[in-house]
Amino acid sequence: MDKNNIFYDPSLKRRHLKSKLFKYFTLFSLVVSLVFLAIFLLDMVLKGSSAVQQTYIQVEVSYNQESIDSYRDAVAKKYLNLLSRAALREIPNQIQKNPSLMGTKQVLWMLADDQVDMYMKEYYYKIDEKDMKTLEELVKNGMVDKKFNTIFFTHGDSKSPEYSGILSAFIGTILTLAVTMLVAFPIGVATAVYLEEFSKQNWWSEFLEININNLAAIPSILFGLLGLAIYINVLGLPRSSALVGGLTLALMTLPIIVVSSRAALRSVPASIRQAGYALGLTKVQVVKDHVIPLAFPGIMTGNIIGLAHAMGETAPLIIVGMIAFIPDSPTSVMEAATVMPAQLFTWAGMPERAYIERTAAGILVLLSLLISLNSLAVYLRKKFEVKW
Amino acid sequence: MAKNKVKIAVKDLNLWYGDKHALHGLNIELYKNKITALIGPSGCGKSTFLRCLNRMNDLITSVRVEGEVVIDGKNIYDKDVDEVSVRKRIGMVFQQPNPFPKSIYENVAYAPLKHGIVKKGSGCDELVEQSLRSAGIWNEVKDILKEPGTGLSGGQQQRLCIARTIAVKPDVILMDEPTSALDPISTEKIEALMLELKKEYTIITVTHNMQQAARIADMTAFFHLGDLIEYDETEKIFINPTQKKTEDYITGRFG
Repeated sequence: MDKNNIFYDPSLKRRHLKSKLFKYFTLFSLVVSLVFLAIFLLDMVLKGSSAVQQTYIQVEVSYNQESIDSYRDAVAKKYLNLLSRAALREIPNQIQKNPSLMGTKQVLWMLADDQVDMYMKEYYYKIDEKDMKTLEELVKNGMVDKKFNTIFFTHGDSKSPEYSGILSAFIGTILTLAVTMLVAFPIGVATAVYLEEFSKQNWWSEFLEININNLAAIPSILFGLLGLAIYINVLGLPRSSALVGGLTLALMTLPIIVVSSRAALRSVPASIRQAGYALGLTKVQVVKDHVIPLAFPGIMTGNIIGLAHAMGETAPLIIVGMIAFIPDSPTSVMEAATVMPAQLFTWAGMPERAYIERTAAGILVLLSLLISLNSLAVYLRKKFEVKW
Repeated sequence: MAKNKVKIAVKDLNLWYGDKHALHGLNIELYKNKITALIGPSGCGKSTFLRCLNRMNDLITSVRVEGEVVIDGKNIYDKDVDEVSVRKRIGMVFQQPNPFPKSIYENVAYAPLKHGIVKKGSGCDELVEQSLRSAGIWNEVKDILKEPGTGLSGGQQQRLCIARTIAVKPDVILMDEPTSALDPISTEKIEALMLELKKEYTIITVTHNMQQAARIADMTAFFHLGDLIEYDETEKIFINPTQKKTEDYITGRFG
C-alpha cells in the first residue's frame, strides 16, 4: 500500500500526534482557569445568596417618652436580645422625625439580631437558653419571617452586621473614581498625544517610554505611600477623603492610560496623517480632527479598563485612610469615605458570622459593576469603531 | 519646446536619510501644465524626490535636505517659507487611496474650510461639487455625499482623493504611483483625468508602469540609485534614449 501512495510520509504520524498533544495542552490550560473561575463564582453566589434576605420579628413597639430616654423600653424586655440593637436605636429618631407617632403603640416587623438571622438561615449561631425559648415560640406563632434585604443596599457600614450595607462604600467608590477619571483622563490622553504626535524620537523620549512602562508595573501600595506623603502630608488634603483616594488612584492609572492611549494613536494608519499634511493642514488640525477621532474607541477602552483596575484597588487606599468606619454615605469628595474593596476587606476581618454572607454579596456587587464597566468598554468600541 | 514655462526649478538637491545619501545633487526643471513622469527601479529615489517638492520629507526626523527647489521664483526651503503653506499649493495624491473615514462631502470640504477658502453655507457646497466634477466622480457620488468615503471602490476613492486635493486650489499636483493599487479600468479613468487636469495644473507623477508614462507623460525623468540619469521629452526617452542605463531599464533588461 505504501508504495502505491505517493503521499505517504512515515514521519507525519508523529508530527500529527505532536500537534494534537500541543492542542490538548492549551485546551487543558483553558479548562483549568475556567474551573477556578467557576469555583470562585459558585462559592460567592452560594455564600452571598443568603444575604438577599434578612430576618424580621413582629413585635409591639411603644413610642413614648421612655422610649426616647432609652430605646430599651420601646419593646417588651424578653424580645430585647432578639432584636437588632442598631434598629432599636433608631426609634427615638423616628419619633423626632414623625411626632404624630408619640404616645402610640404599633405592631411592626422589627429587624432581628444577627444571631437570630443566623439561626433562621441555619448557620452557626449563639443564643442563650432563655432567648431561645422566646424565639422558638415566636417562630411557632409565625411572628418571625425573612424579607428582602433592602438594608444592604440602603445603608452604610454598621457595627451590627444585620444593619450594615454597601451603600456608603458604593458612593465612596463612585466619588473616588470620578476624581480619578477627571484627573487621569485628560492628563493621560494629553500625555499620550504629546509623546505619540509631537515629541521627537530621541534618547529622551525613549527614556520616558521605559519609565512610563515601568510606572505601570509598580506595586500599587507604593502609590498609596506617595499619595500619603504628597496629598496628605504636604498639601494637607483631608485624610480618608475621596479626593485623596481619587488622586492616588489617578497616579496609579495614569501610566495605564498613557500606554493604552499611545497604542490606540499608533494604530491609526500613517496614510491618514499624510493625507492631512498633504492638504496643507497643521499638525493640530490633523491630530485633533483626524487622528484622535480614529483612535477614540481604543482610548476609551484603555481608560475604562484603567478605571476598572482602579475600582478593584485596595492597598493604596488603605494607606491614605480609606479603610475607616463609614456608616453614612459621603456627600462630597472632601468627606471621609471608604470604597467597596476596602469595605469588603473590613467585613472579611470581622468576627461575626453574619459578615461572611455580606462580604460575599458585596463581592458580587463589585463584580457586577466591573462586568458592566467592561461591557461598556466593548460597547463603546463597537459603536465608535470606524469601518474601513 | 521653447514655449515650455518652468514651474519648478530644482538646483543641486541633496537628501540624506540619516547617513544614507539618497539623492545626489539633482538638477531638473519641471514645466507648467505638463505631466512629468518619474520612472526608475525601486529605491532609486523618485518617490523621495517627489516628496521633496512639497516638503513631506520634513515629517521624517532623520531627513536632511540641501539645495533649492524654486517654485514660481521662490525657494520653498527658504527660512521664511512655512511648509504648511507649501503643501497647500503643492497637492499630493498617494499610492494607496486614503480618504478620511468621514463622509464624501466632508472629505472634500474639510481642508478648504480650514484654509478659509470657503465658509460653511457660502460657497462650500459649490466648491465640493466643482471639485468632484473636476475629478470626474460627481455623477457617481452626487446622491451619496453623506455616505462615508471609505465605502467607495478603490478607483472611486482615488478620484475622491484627487477631488480633495484640487479643492484647496493647488498649482501643482504630485502623484505617487496613483494607479498602482487600482484595476485597469479605474487606471484608465485616472489617466484620462490626469490628461484633463494638466490643462489647469502641473502634474508630476511617479510610476512603475512604463506604458503609463508613455501614454500620458509629456516629459519623463529616469532615476537610478539617487541620480537623475536622463530627463527629456517622453518620446525621446522611450524611442531614442541617450544613456545606456535608460535604454536597459526601458527595454526591461533590469529593474
